[in-house]
Amino acid sequence: MKRSSILILVLSMVLVLSLTVGAFAQVNNPNTFTKINMGTIDSLDPHYQYDNASSEIYANIYENLIMFKEGDITQYEPLLATEVPTVNNGLIKNDGTTYIFPIREGVTFHEGGTLTPEDVKYSFMRGLIHDRNGGPWWMLYGPLFDAGGLSDITEQVVGVENPSELTAAQSAEVYAELDKAISVDGNKVVFNLPKPNPTFLSVVVHDNGLGAIIDKEWSIEQGAWDGSPETIAEYYDPAKESDPLHEQTNGTGPFMLNTWEKGKRIALDRNDNYWREPAQLERVIINYIDEWSTRKLMLQRGDADVVYMDKQYQSQVENLDGVEFISGLPNLYTGYGLMNWTIDTKGNPDVHSGELDGNGVPSDFFEDINVRKAFNYSMNYDAFVSEVMDGDGQQARGPIPEPFLGFDEDSPVYTMDLEKAEEHFKKAFDGELWDKGFEITILYNTGNSMRKTASDMLKYNIEQINPNFKINVRGIQWASYLDRMIAGKFTLGFIGWGADYADPHNFTVPFMRSDGTFGNFKGESYKEWAKENGVDSLVNKGVEVTDREEREEIYKEIQNIAYEYATDLYLYQPTAHILMRDWVQGWTYDPILHDGIYYYRIYKAQE
Amino acid sequence: MISYIVRRLLILPIILIGVTLLVFSMIMMLGPYERLSTYIKDPAELKNVDVDVLVTKLGLNDPWYEQYGRWISGVARGDMGWSESAGSTVTQAFLSRFPATAELGLLALLPVVVGGVILGVFASVHHNDFWDHVSRVLAIIGWSVPTFVFGLIMLMIFYGTLGWFPPSRLDSWALDIVNSAGFINYTNFFIIDGLLNANFAIVGNAIRHLVAPVITISILWWAFIMRITRSSMLEILRRDYIRTARAKGVKENVVVYKHAVRNALIPVVTVAGRMVLGLLGGLVITETIFNIKGLGQFMAQAAQQLDYPAVLGGTLYFGFLLILINLCVDVSYAIIDPRIRLE
Amino acid sequence: MEWQEVVIRLFKNKISLIGLILIIFFGVIAIGAPWIAPPSDPSEPYMVPRAGWGFEPQPPSSEHIFGTAEGQYDIFYGIIWGTRTAFRIGFIIVGISSFIGILVGTLAGYYGGWFDEVVMRITDIFMAIPFLIAAIVMTTILGQGLRNVMIALITFGWMNSARLMRSQVLSIKEEEFVIAADALGAGDFRIIFKHVILNTIFPLVIEASMRMGSMVITASTLSFLGIGAPEGYADWGQMISFARNWILGGEGNAIKYWFTVVIPGGAITLFCLSWNLIGDAFRDILDPKLQ
Repeated sequence: MKRSSILILVLSMVLVLSLTVGAFAQVNNPNTFTKINMGTIDSLDPHYQYDNASSEIYANIYENLIMFKEGDITQYEPLLATEVPTVNNGLIKNDGTTYIFPIREGVTFHEGGTLTPEDVKYSFMRGLIHDRNGGPWWMLYGPLFDAGGLSDITEQVVGVENPSELTAAQSAEVYAELDKAISVDGNKVVFNLPKPNPTFLSVVVHDNGLGAIIDKEWSIEQGAWDGSPETIAEYYDPAKESDPLHEQTNGTGPFMLNTWEKGKRIALDRNDNYWREPAQLERVIINYIDEWSTRKLMLQRGDADVVYMDKQYQSQVENLDGVEFISGLPNLYTGYGLMNWTIDTKGNPDVHSGELDGNGVPSDFFEDINVRKAFNYSMNYDAFVSEVMDGDGQQARGPIPEPFLGFDEDSPVYTMDLEKAEEHFKKAFDGELWDKGFEITILYNTGNSMRKTASDMLKYNIEQINPNFKINVRGIQWASYLDRMIAGKFTLGFIGWGADYADPHNFTVPFMRSDGTFGNFKGESYKEWAKENGVDSLVNKGVEVTDREEREEIYKEIQNIAYEYATDLYLYQPTAHILMRDWVQGWTYDPILHDGIYYYRIYKAQE
Repeated sequence: MISYIVRRLLILPIILIGVTLLVFSMIMMLGPYERLSTYIKDPAELKNVDVDVLVTKLGLNDPWYEQYGRWISGVARGDMGWSESAGSTVTQAFLSRFPATAELGLLALLPVVVGGVILGVFASVHHNDFWDHVSRVLAIIGWSVPTFVFGLIMLMIFYGTLGWFPPSRLDSWALDIVNSAGFINYTNFFIIDGLLNANFAIVGNAIRHLVAPVITISILWWAFIMRITRSSMLEILRRDYIRTARAKGVKENVVVYKHAVRNALIPVVTVAGRMVLGLLGGLVITETIFNIKGLGQFMAQAAQQLDYPAVLGGTLYFGFLLILINLCVDVSYAIIDPRIRLE
Repeated sequence: MEWQEVVIRLFKNKISLIGLILIIFFGVIAIGAPWIAPPSDPSEPYMVPRAGWGFEPQPPSSEHIFGTAEGQYDIFYGIIWGTRTAFRIGFIIVGISSFIGILVGTLAGYYGGWFDEVVMRITDIFMAIPFLIAAIVMTTILGQGLRNVMIALITFGWMNSARLMRSQVLSIKEEEFVIAADALGAGDFRIIFKHVILNTIFPLVIEASMRMGSMVITASTLSFLGIGAPEGYADWGQMISFARNWILGGEGNAIKYWFTVVIPGGAITLFCLSWNLIGDAFRDILDPKLQ
């Protein structure tokens, strides 16, 4: 009896204790900022990294020539350049093909070097030669060379497809070509573009690691590109592990690297010799913890200042003591259903019979515009926005998200209309589809509940329309997802794209152009269709004209084509949010860094 | 005994090669594009990838024996390869994660075994009465509640509410000391390093961070040890010599705790030995919840990303451990019970 | 002891009776699932219906008497149909892996020599791969799904039975009746089956009954890692994994989402408990010295 009453006492104590979490009034560690994130940092090399977690680190250590005005991604401010080139101040010349950047003096690198225009040129040249497969440099090869990457240039200049096979002489020839684009003139660095390109500044701006300026002498000492024209083959497409800047840094930014424990934690210290006022925080620590509940408790205890949270848990944090939750921030992202117009049916379980016989779908299932439209009409957009996204975010209106040029909140969109869907299903394949029915498996990558829900909605609605329609929803691992896309076996599945730089071109190319990232996965008939119907040339035209209004018309037309032909199933543009202690001050949202924070202006104080 | 140990050690390389071949052939069942997912973790990374170039560069399309040969010849040279999921070399990844797991696992071993044995002896002494049933049912509940449920409740109570036992391995201030030049990292076991550096604040902090996960693990494994102890005890308690002892009027306590427990421990040692391996490789969930960046979590992640250098490296390492542990178990039999001879 | 006697004793023992009643209760639920929780789509009865598209779990109501889990999956439906899954996982995995174990262990133990050596080294190889890692790699390769999870758990789950069986066989091989049977010229197969297996199998039955329950827990670990049953499949392990991010509650109420943990957790615990009780009772009954 005595023992069991002790047991009951202990149990009830545990219950009471578990109901409350200690709260703090004063600011914890006022000079140290702790963020808890998910995932891992890929690389600290600003020219190599191309993911959110890494770009946050780069943005605080390295600096570019120009930066966005605080909280506004349509306006620029000088950073390592002393002026932002405009036509008015004469630093954009020759009809927008010459950009001139006067370089700031008296800026020192963390390791002691002084910034010179030579460093600027070296930084860009190193990156262009570096051009790692899957890296960010295609963004700059476009405006500077009208090419997709270094291999295009080597092929064009010396006829070698793989830059690692260049001989020293060929390398020098290729280098001469690259060299034409960037030159140093006194304390200015001059970029020469083959034709006007309105995206150029938005590519080299701070937030985008490829424009980071590194110290030439120091980098060469560490073993980065030696500055010689003849060694391109040696330095092209480096492996991460042999990249000398993979884990050491030397920038001009407000913070410098203290320690990087890979996969666990990174600590940055304030740069006290910063060329502007030093930052207010002495130290920034970013921890990587995958368990949401652990992150939440650390925030509640005040041991973390900002934690990463998936949108679906927002109901848990809305009224927490001492915690501020800001949602509804713009997120430059388009989530959509990719429909493969030419499905490879060979050995593909997802098309079942692989024929139009009621027990499967034929290869050209999604080539039929009526099928695509019917699918578009079968999506429950309102429920998706209001329930899955908790009312934040909006239905996507095509590839281009708000607030880019071409986004128009009055443009036509699909709504859920099962009668229209039925109408289109009846027209598809001359009525044959309606009579015979079909069975298809649509895919989502496991762990992504949003995509699973979108697929479930399609299944739920379409199976109501006709009892002979059968949709299976199958979750597959990312490995298989990737494999199916590359191999052309993908049927329909949800996927998304976030902005690399602030221009609609960054969305129209991957989604619409026949050789874009997703265009490649939409099958041969989509490619032909896009070429024949002028989609490709329209996308290209978007960056050939510089006039804002003219561009806007082009992008509106692209949005309209996406709607008119139901090329894909455009679903949603989410919002971003941040979850932090209320003592965090000086934070502004940067949609390009997204979850990343620029810590320069941040401080901690209880108000 | 020496020749037995030598023989077991000679078999070691055969087993290790067998193990890695088995894992490798499993991974090779996937096509090169699927294995590319180790390097392309997100649709965003598809932006400018020429997948075929990448496949060629990484040699993913080569015949399996070439790929395996590349890997094994690297290992022979002491190069375990590069782990994409860790972002470092495999060796580095293991060296930085092994101490975290080992510290937790070894520290947990003591309460697990001691607690489990006490519970088991308790239950066997009370065989088939009320306390036997209560302790068994409680242990089974501990065993069947998923670790993450229990771990999160522990975290909530001991960290969220009381603030006593925070997650991670060390507090931020302690990490700064550990990472500073004045502190020598002999082993990366923070408790041992703290002692060696005579910095007891570090030792205290490290222990403080280990309490909650150790409790979580203990409660989970008690049922396991308890069951073995209980049945082993029940068997021993019926043996002739125990009966004789009882008949001779030896006190019940002496019979149970001096004579029976000692003999009942033999199967417990076997199980505990195998459990060490489970503890080192299977702490995925505890590590995730308490943010201890250890081997379990790392291996699970590597396996999911098909990061084969890491998975193979891990298999090598665990195979090695398994054989060592089995050896220790065999040898300790001989020590506990001199009648057992090793063949 | 004859098996009829074993069964009678199982029913006579109070503890094992509780276990048996629980198992029968679960069995009735499993068999009656189509009537207790009629599926909306009979062709896919294992897919748990969703009550909406939002994420936040909803507390029990008259419509969803156990509430809904993350993603609005109906917990009641998941528990009922999950009972079938639990039995299936348990019986198939434990059955097949024990069979393989018995086969391998008996042959190795009976024939001995180099055959034993080779087989046991192969067993070592399988044991040297951490179980969880092996299961993850295998399901990643085979693709997500319960069938593949079962294949993985069988592939890496037979070794303990094999070792146990082998040691049993080794100890019984020297006993007189086996030697006698051999001398009388009984065929290998008959000796193995009649004398060796039948005389050594009981420890294995005990082990197997314990593993029945823990397989459900293993499956829940895999669900936690995102490689278990497909999302929305009626599986207790997955039902409790849905609770992962809601266990600590929210808005100052730590037990706001208790139903997401307690209900599936209760089912798993009772299931484990019942098999363990039966296993214990088996042990007590079959232990000859206890008579």
